[in-house]
Amino acid sequence: MKYAFFLGCLIPARELSYEVSVRKVLPELGVELVDMKGANCCAPFSIQSVDHASWMALAARNLCLAEEMGLDIMTLCNDCYESLLMVNNILKRNPALRDQVNQILSEVGKEYKGKIDVKNLVDVLSGDVGVDKVKGAIKEPISGLRVGTQPGCHLTKPKRIHFEVLRGFNELDALVQATGVESVPYERKEMCCGGPLRDINDDLARQVSREKLIALKNAEVQAVVTVCPFCFLQLDLGQLEVKRHFNEEYNLPVIHFIELLRMGMGMKLDDWEVKAHRIPITELLKDRL
Amino acid sequence: MEEKAVLVVGGGISGIQASLDLASRGYKVYLVEKSPSIGGRMAQLDKTFPTMDCSMCILAPKMIDCSHHPNVQLLTYSEVKGVKGSAGNFVVTVLRKPRFVDETKCTGCGICADHCPVEVPNEFDEQLGMRKAIYMPFPQAVPRAMTVDKVNCIECGLCQKMCQAGAVDLKQQPQEVELDVGAIILSIGFDLFDPSQIPTYGYGRYRNVITALELERLLCASGPTGGHLIRPSDGRIPRKIAFVQCVGSRDRRLGTTYCSSICCKYSVKDAVLIKEHEPNTTVSIFYIDLRAFGKGFQVFVNRAKSEYGVRFIRSSPGEIMENPLTKDLTVWYEDTVAGRIENVTFDLVVLCPALLPRTDARELAKVFGIEVDDYGFFKASNVLTNPVDTTVSGIFACGYCLGPKTGDIPDSIMQGSATAARVAEVLERV
Amino acid sequence: MGEIANTPRGKGILLCIQCGRCSSSCPVARLTGEHNPRRLMEMVILGFKKEVLPTQLPWYCLSCFTCLDRCPQGGDVGEVMFAIRNLAVKQGNTPAGVAAQAKSLYETTRVINPVRTALDRRESLGLSKITTEGLEEVQKILRRTGMEKIVKST
Repeated sequence: MKYAFFLGCLIPARELSYEVSVRKVLPELGVELVDMKGANCCAPFSIQSVDHASWMALAARNLCLAEEMGLDIMTLCNDCYESLLMVNNILKRNPALRDQVNQILSEVGKEYKGKIDVKNLVDVLSGDVGVDKVKGAIKEPISGLRVGTQPGCHLTKPKRIHFEVLRGFNELDALVQATGVESVPYERKEMCCGGPLRDINDDLARQVSREKLIALKNAEVQAVVTVCPFCFLQLDLGQLEVKRHFNEEYNLPVIHFIELLRMGMGMKLDDWEVKAHRIPITELLKDRL
Repeated sequence: MEEKAVLVVGGGISGIQASLDLASRGYKVYLVEKSPSIGGRMAQLDKTFPTMDCSMCILAPKMIDCSHHPNVQLLTYSEVKGVKGSAGNFVVTVLRKPRFVDETKCTGCGICADHCPVEVPNEFDEQLGMRKAIYMPFPQAVPRAMTVDKVNCIECGLCQKMCQAGAVDLKQQPQEVELDVGAIILSIGFDLFDPSQIPTYGYGRYRNVITALELERLLCASGPTGGHLIRPSDGRIPRKIAFVQCVGSRDRRLGTTYCSSICCKYSVKDAVLIKEHEPNTTVSIFYIDLRAFGKGFQVFVNRAKSEYGVRFIRSSPGEIMENPLTKDLTVWYEDTVAGRIENVTFDLVVLCPALLPRTDARELAKVFGIEVDDYGFFKASNVLTNPVDTTVSGIFACGYCLGPKTGDIPDSIMQGSATAARVAEVLERV
Repeated sequence: MGEIANTPRGKGILLCIQCGRCSSSCPVARLTGEHNPRRLMEMVILGFKKEVLPTQLPWYCLSCFTCLDRCPQGGDVGEVMFAIRNLAVKQGNTPAGVAAQAKSLYETTRVINPVRTALDRRESLGLSKITTEGLEEVQKILRRTGMEKIVKST
């Protein structure tokens, strides 16, 4: 299993620990990741809001790079996933739009052919690697931990637009259970973290994150498990911002699924990676770090 | 000229009407019904709109007529397996499933059921009540005979022992009969959309979210609660009830893009019924468009508003959430007229699901060689000029199996009579 | 409405029956009365251009697609939102945060760039360098689509 690794912008900028964990864990599961040289931003919410053709062309350029590599793309970030997946699906099914986009791409000597698929980490782990293999790789199951998973909006919706059933809650929950952690159902699991409005309307973004945190707190979970760096940012750093603005404490550590997997496979997190969690995880996972 | 008989498939109100019309004209009618008793959906209802007549009171005399009429032969608990021939000359193979009770001997006294040790959910009550493995689906069943549900029967033989009429025969075999008929009428009715396909409404997960048909059974005196409207989770009388329209209907995602046509009517009827039972209960109807066409219906709606205080809110709710402790339901909706997003907590939520073709409609269509439309309803040979003719000459259809139309009871009766007239034409021509 | 309906992402507007399922599902609409997807659809349908395009109204949306998932008509409300925003930007209404991301994309191929400390750590871990490789191609694309002009004007 080999994938073109689409890192996106946010992870290298603010969540290096996610990248590091992925690079450590995936090879152990038989997944080879090849960096995409010269890839550009996927064109998330903000850019899509500016101009439609630009979105299509920017995303398509990345798809072309992967086509030239002859590999399917694996993304980590939900925004990247949604952007690239949508454009890939739309261009595969709509020859008129495909011609328009290829006209733009011809300026840079590229042509979209529709040869590859776009997947995300959850797709790869639950689909291609398989939950059984993941479970088999767990050396020390993490027991006694109740979490609420945050699959994220762009992992699970819009199902219909993507013309296929997106990897959703069940897949992520199955993966989480495989590490020994208990995934607790809770109201508003589908709800957005508030991420897309960050820096655009911080006040509103905070309010949305707060609603999410309230729902998680009501479910009495010990931590939140994320797969998207935006969700992580919004619920982790965002938790401090909510604390400042609303004077409310939630004490909900946020942790990426890949970090749980890494710990379950017997690897320890480095100091800087532990500190990258603004809401401390040391209390909760003291013996596993 | 040899008088040919007629086959009617489906013992609901439209099939019953067609059978009686033809029988009274002197034709022999075979009325085949899949379940143990004729009666269909109308038997499940409490009261009918807009006259508020007791449904069974109107239906039962017609059912009795069918059982006593010398020209009507009831083949209940039976299914059509094959059809050969053409208009004027059909040969139909009917499988008579064994009910393990001799209809001619059973008096319907029910002692067997009293002693049967097996209890299973009662389909007639929409799984809200229980029945025994030997059962009569409802008290006014025709034929008045018990049936053994062999799937759940443990073959203890108690029923056989207790039966004073010696009617129980646990060794009864299925029987295939061949019927020579000149024409066929299909009146198999509808099934309900399963609202659990819309997960945000919580049907199937939240006990106090029910379908309108389940509500009818709760309101009906012959139902699982003896006509007392109580909510499933705790048996309390609901004080705040919400009706949600268009659950599955007018839904392009699910493919049921049509309007089921009777739900606005029956929900207002049910709302009024509820207010009559429990004047202190508030009832709110969440609708997208209120389709109250035809004679007397808009007046009925106006009465519901002014005399009974039923609330009409123009909104299709986005989400229903359950309070895990009280099992009350919070409905999130936007009052689209006021432009305000609100949430209100209700004791009971009634979903008005889309009405679909029966799950076996397509299969049956194949057996008869008739066409179905995109939704699976039987296709009329010409929707404008021959609305009750199917695409095969000599085979007609009436009632909801043809599709929504106006769909209500008078229409089904009308269509039943229409097919009877068309059949008579075919038979007299031959 | 025609302007929106004729865009690839906006054609769903023609299906809207104003049922209100989208607005009652929207997480933002539950927090502020300012944002109401159904009302926004209504305003577009009725042709209220100046009440929508120059305002904050299109910019409360999270693109969480809850509305889209719930719409019984397949009206793709969340998609129509993008079409409205595209039109708003064309008319010169781009919030600062969006403009900043667009500018960053145009100048570096990324909407957000690592700070010095992040780059240092990257190097110390031996990970690949973050470069502006591909910038020329990105700029050519954005020139061709006209987004370059938008970036330079905001």
